[in-house]
Amino acid sequence: MTALLQLDGISAGYGNQTVLREVSLAVADGGMTAIIGPNGHGKTTLLRAISGLMPLKAGRIVFDGHDIGGRRPDEIVAAGIIHVPQGDMLFPELTVLENLLMGAYLPQAAAESGRRLEEVFALLPKLRDRRAQIASTLSGGERRMVGIGRGLMAGGRLLMLDEPSLGLAPIVIDQIYEVVDELARSGRAVLVVEENAARVADKAVLMALLDNGRLVWSGAGAELMARPEILATYLGA
Amino acid sequence: MDVIVQIIASGLTMGAMYAISTIGLALVYGSLNMLNMAHGALLALGGYVCYFAMAHLGLHPLIGLLGAMVVCGVAGLAIFLVAARPMLRAENFETRIFIATIGIGAIIENIVLRLFGPQPTPQPFNLSGAIVIGQVHVPNQNLLILGLALLLMAGLALLLQRTRLGRAIRATAQNREAAQLMGVRVSFVYAQVLALSGGLAAISGVMISSLSSLLPNMGGDPMLKAFIICVVAGLGNVYGAVAAAIVLGLLEAMAQYVLGVQYSFAILLLLVILVLIWRPFGLFGRRQVVRL
Amino acid sequence: MPTRRDLLILAVLVALAALIPLVTGMRYIVTQATLFFIWAIVVTQWNLVLGVGGIFSLAQMALFAVGAYSTAMLGYYFELPMLLAMPIAALVTVLVSTLVGAACLRLKGPYVALLTLAVAQMLYLLITNDTACFTNPPSGCMPFFGGVRGFTRFGDLGFRELLGGKWYVAHFYVGLFLLALAVLFSLAIIRGPMGLAFQALRDNPGCAMSRGVSKFKYQLWLFALSAFFTGLAGSFYAINFAAIGPTVFSISLLLFLMSMIVVGGIGTIWGPLLGALILMLTDEAMREFGDWRDIGLGLILAGFVIFLPRGLMGLPVARLPRLSGRRRAD
Repeated sequence: MTALLQLDGISAGYGNQTVLREVSLAVADGGMTAIIGPNGHGKTTLLRAISGLMPLKAGRIVFDGHDIGGRRPDEIVAAGIIHVPQGDMLFPELTVLENLLMGAYLPQAAAESGRRLEEVFALLPKLRDRRAQIASTLSGGERRMVGIGRGLMAGGRLLMLDEPSLGLAPIVIDQIYEVVDELARSGRAVLVVEENAARVADKAVLMALLDNGRLVWSGAGAELMARPEILATYLGA
Repeated sequence: MDVIVQIIASGLTMGAMYAISTIGLALVYGSLNMLNMAHGALLALGGYVCYFAMAHLGLHPLIGLLGAMVVCGVAGLAIFLVAARPMLRAENFETRIFIATIGIGAIIENIVLRLFGPQPTPQPFNLSGAIVIGQVHVPNQNLLILGLALLLMAGLALLLQRTRLGRAIRATAQNREAAQLMGVRVSFVYAQVLALSGGLAAISGVMISSLSSLLPNMGGDPMLKAFIICVVAGLGNVYGAVAAAIVLGLLEAMAQYVLGVQYSFAILLLLVILVLIWRPFGLFGRRQVVRL
Repeated sequence: MPTRRDLLILAVLVALAALIPLVTGMRYIVTQATLFFIWAIVVTQWNLVLGVGGIFSLAQMALFAVGAYSTAMLGYYFELPMLLAMPIAALVTVLVSTLVGAACLRLKGPYVALLTLAVAQMLYLLITNDTACFTNPPSGCMPFFGGVRGFTRFGDLGFRELLGGKWYVAHFYVGLFLLALAVLFSLAIIRGPMGLAFQALRDNPGCAMSRGVSKFKYQLWLFALSAFFTGLAGSFYAINFAAIGPTVFSISLLLFLMSMIVVGGIGTIWGPLLGALILMLTDEAMREFGDWRDIGLGLILAGFVIFLPRGLMGLPVARLPRLSGRRRAD
């Protein structure tokens, strides 16, 4: 499969601090790619650099044949990269429906918002019942669903999910990953950040291990689970 | 009975006027945490532009008002581009933009002073005549202000609740980064908010000067009162600000009747301090989540 | 406590300043220098509140006015000697400041700015709107707070009698002495435990608070203490000009003083002094363009905040010790 997103030696960080160092990675056009690694080692920074929330210090980001490094976040969304941020970042005072509609803010997405809304409701039926509720009154699992649904409303070609399991009860994590899995199986390109490698090992077409801001290993999920020395060194498992 | 009608009539007029000057401020603070200290100068600018268009160019009052809105809208936009945009992401944004707009306000106010002089000038945008309720004369101009205020509130509510721009404004105010991830170009949204608030300032300036008269520093007091209203309502809460404006207008009319004009502001302030000790984030305000 | 280097800088500056009346015979220069000392006291104390305590107070000129008015009223109504009236006025200012602080300081930054501005405006309106005659001297009706005209002829420090036409030289040295004390006080605050507490609150608020550093408590102390010299400066201002009126509340003056801090560098030790000097000189240079003065001030204030937010002391060429950042090595 060809690469949809190609990272070419990118570095990023806050001020003088460099969090991410020379990471190169190819994300396939379809299926799940997972970025794993311990907390605070640059996984979130990587997504933020891709979506333009954080300026690049070095390197190139090529998406669908175009260099998108240094573009504004809204331009990157328009290009088709959808970033569902860590901790959802919903609009707390808007209703579920308004949150979802914000996902389809850009004109090309707004034109299809009716159809997409039905798709989101089909995938996440709970949201249909909750659509008039104010987002800040939802439970953690419901919020995660709104976050993902809001991302789906944008259409886009690559969906980036930052720790969709964060802070949820195990049973809710399973529900969320069922949805993510379904998206990936249907051929959508999904880039997931996950701390727990075992959770995504059997689903991801490619796993990339970030440690201390560097890419230290990448390969298939099954391969990783067969390498206990890597698991022990980097993931403490 | 007539006293009560009188108090209600003047209280509502004052409240409506406060509401018009307050919503612009509340909108700007709610959207980008910016206390626009140049708002008072924009009130004066709007009042004078309308006066100039009518008295010197002989234009229709509505064109005068519209012209004032355009000029102040552009001024608001300029404040965003020159002052707010370069420091939007810097730490201490709130403090720095506050100080910067104090400076910009002084510049605008003194330009108005240079152009039009320090003498009080009557505002030609003024309805004559009055209607009589019981024994009380209510000037038509007061009714116009009340009607205009209602119209503006309704328009603003419609804009915020029903339009794409309105939803983008609210979303950006609630979580700037998330709005960016939805494809919102936040600096465009902010620019529109400041232009809008400038236009509202112009209307408010014309209305305030129609009841008293035009002065280059006429904006100072209304701005301070508008800020107090924002504070009572909880900074950035647009709907709360409207309610607080009406209530404070009525209270002030009452205080003026009972205690005399010179103490009404002091009473107002005392009230605000008590409210804030009771509820440090305003009557309708919510504790903001600390963003790191 | 102040480092030896701070004290050395201060001593050199004071010594140099003390030479001014000796090298120039021009009365204008000496009296302008005296005014500079007064504004410098105000801005060093305001800088403590604003830059060190992180309190966005706009009530500084109101506190200054409290000091000035207390002095004038003590002299006018009680015929108190001015030497006695000065410390009393400063203490009254501390009292007022404590009340204002207790009411405002629990609030968040922008609320503090608006409320302190409103308090200042309220005092101004109470003074100017009060038209009822409290006494009726031959010069005409006198409201309790002096009304729009304010107070004159409430006494002086006695130098006019002692030195005749040269009284202003004595006032120069009084002003310099007060400024030196005010700078010493601000050094003691910045370098002392209170400065460290605020530094801790800035660097790591969560940690500092969990160790029992109460922001409100420290802010209230700082707000109250810094009012002492602010009030004293107001008091000396009234005595020096033998008059005080509501013009001290003017936005123009607030703008002028705030520009000094911003131009010099908010939160730095020597920045406000530098800013005060530069603004006084600029003001002098702009004297011919009097009408454009406030526009110029507005441009300076906005320009610095937008393009040079750390002020002149933030420039790389300024190698004097900065309050934040560099640790004390000595």
